[in-house]
Amino acid sequence: MFEQPFIWLALIASSATGAALSIMGTYLVIRRVVFMGLVLASAATVGAAGAQIFHWPPELGSIAATVATALGLGAIPTPRRISAESVMGWAYAAASAATVLILAGAPGADLDELHLLYGNLLAVSVSHAVGLVVLALVIVLVQILFGRRFLLVTFDSEAARVAGVNTTLWSLSLSLLIGIATAASVHEIGALLTFSLLTLPPTASLLAMRSIQSTFGVSATLGVLLACLGVVVSFYLDLPPGPTSVALLAVSVPLAALVGRRRDAMPRPADKPA
Amino acid sequence: MSAEPLLTGRTLSLGYHRQALIRGLSFEVRRGEIWGIVGPNGSGKTTLIRAMLGLLKPLNGTVERKAGLAVSYMPQRESIDAILPVTALEVVLMGRTARAGALRRVHSEDLDAARRALGLVGGESLGGRLYRDLSGGQQQRVLLARAIASDSEMLVLDEPTAGMDVASEAAMMAFLQELNRSQKLTIVIVTHLLQVVLNLATSVMLLGTHSILQGPLDQVLQEQSLTELYGAPVHIGAIAGQRTLVVGRPGAQGV
Repeated sequence: MFEQPFIWLALIASSATGAALSIMGTYLVIRRVVFMGLVLASAATVGAAGAQIFHWPPELGSIAATVATALGLGAIPTPRRISAESVMGWAYAAASAATVLILAGAPGADLDELHLLYGNLLAVSVSHAVGLVVLALVIVLVQILFGRRFLLVTFDSEAARVAGVNTTLWSLSLSLLIGIATAASVHEIGALLTFSLLTLPPTASLLAMRSIQSTFGVSATLGVLLACLGVVVSFYLDLPPGPTSVALLAVSVPLAALVGRRRDAMPRPADKPA
Repeated sequence: MSAEPLLTGRTLSLGYHRQALIRGLSFEVRRGEIWGIVGPNGSGKTTLIRAMLGLLKPLNGTVERKAGLAVSYMPQRESIDAILPVTALEVVLMGRTARAGALRRVHSEDLDAARRALGLVGGESLGGRLYRDLSGGQQQRVLLARAIASDSEMLVLDEPTAGMDVASEAAMMAFLQELNRSQKLTIVIVTHLLQVVLNLATSVMLLGTHSILQGPLDQVLQEQSLTELYGAPVHIGAIAGQRTLVVGRPGAQGV
């Protein structure tokens, strides 16, 4: 299979999106807003649908809609009477309805051609693969440089604000990065795998790991390995690559839970001064 | 000469959605003071400190902070979601890194300061343990260590003894008193228990449903005014050199 160039491009795109989404998704999971991943993937679909009406490139529409949604959800405080999940549910329903209504009002528009649900990993172009690799490198670099600050704002936003940290700026920056990574990924790997990479590797990693560094490291590693393994398995079993990767990612969560339980049950050395 | 004011509130009205919980409040927190803000649940204690910290915009009036004032905030433990797999030492280090630039790495002096702060609160053995695995009282101590590690001029502590047993509570109060004495640290403590600040605070603010009493501890802690504030007979006494108070049932006579 490896003599086929399209397989290499699929593996490169899987690795890049696997790393980028798993790192950014870790913040969604620890902030308990995993459905934001689904909302952003839906926003990318609305953007692509809207772009078809104006005959714009669908990627442009997706990026604009996803970034606007990410920033909007990051900037609007959750009303005290409801949870953040309810806001995500509202946004998801609105985005899904908007997609259908936009397509109904735009004769000739066809989202199936854009492969937005399941993606079209086996048709990734060289330029798109390079773009995804650049995006992944930027996200890894941002995580290395500013991960500590993102964690500070995530752990105790109010204490950080009192200490003089511009928490609004950092939270919006995080939302912006998540939005860009989501929009760029949806067009190549589809909404289903994008949402799965945002949520399942971080969930598995949080279940199995006992330090924040290893949580991010294992999350990114799982994202890359299982997304690529999905491409390989799908090739040999003649299955669609996106859903195959999602199935492997889904299996990783209960396995990680077992690993976590075993580690928790193991005796730890007595407490000693740090 | 009196110490310089660090935090000044002028004719403050505080609340949410244009509904004022506190009206016409003015106060001045001076360097080296220990303020106790006490009141029953729902009296607006947390609202007041959120305004003091700049987290809540007053409906009316102003809160002025001394230019460049470094404040550390220890929130209620329950307000922190402990899903993050961070160790106690990493939590304390956040107190150091919050004030540093975003690109600054952790230095050895930061680690030393964090370990020292953990030691001060009696948490030397907690540093390597996950914050989420600690008991409520241990988490309180770690959050206090984080506030201390930041080398601030003022500590604002929201219910610092919540979830602590009486011995730990007494130890925490003694520690804060020593911190105030040795480092001239200004401390603002918010609690719903008057006993917590009775032997600690230099000034006190009592938030009642209909009135607010504030001033030096000895002036405010009068049985008559407390009885009026709480609507039940309050008696102040001393046991083993420590002041204590007893609240009777409304209408009851004697202690």
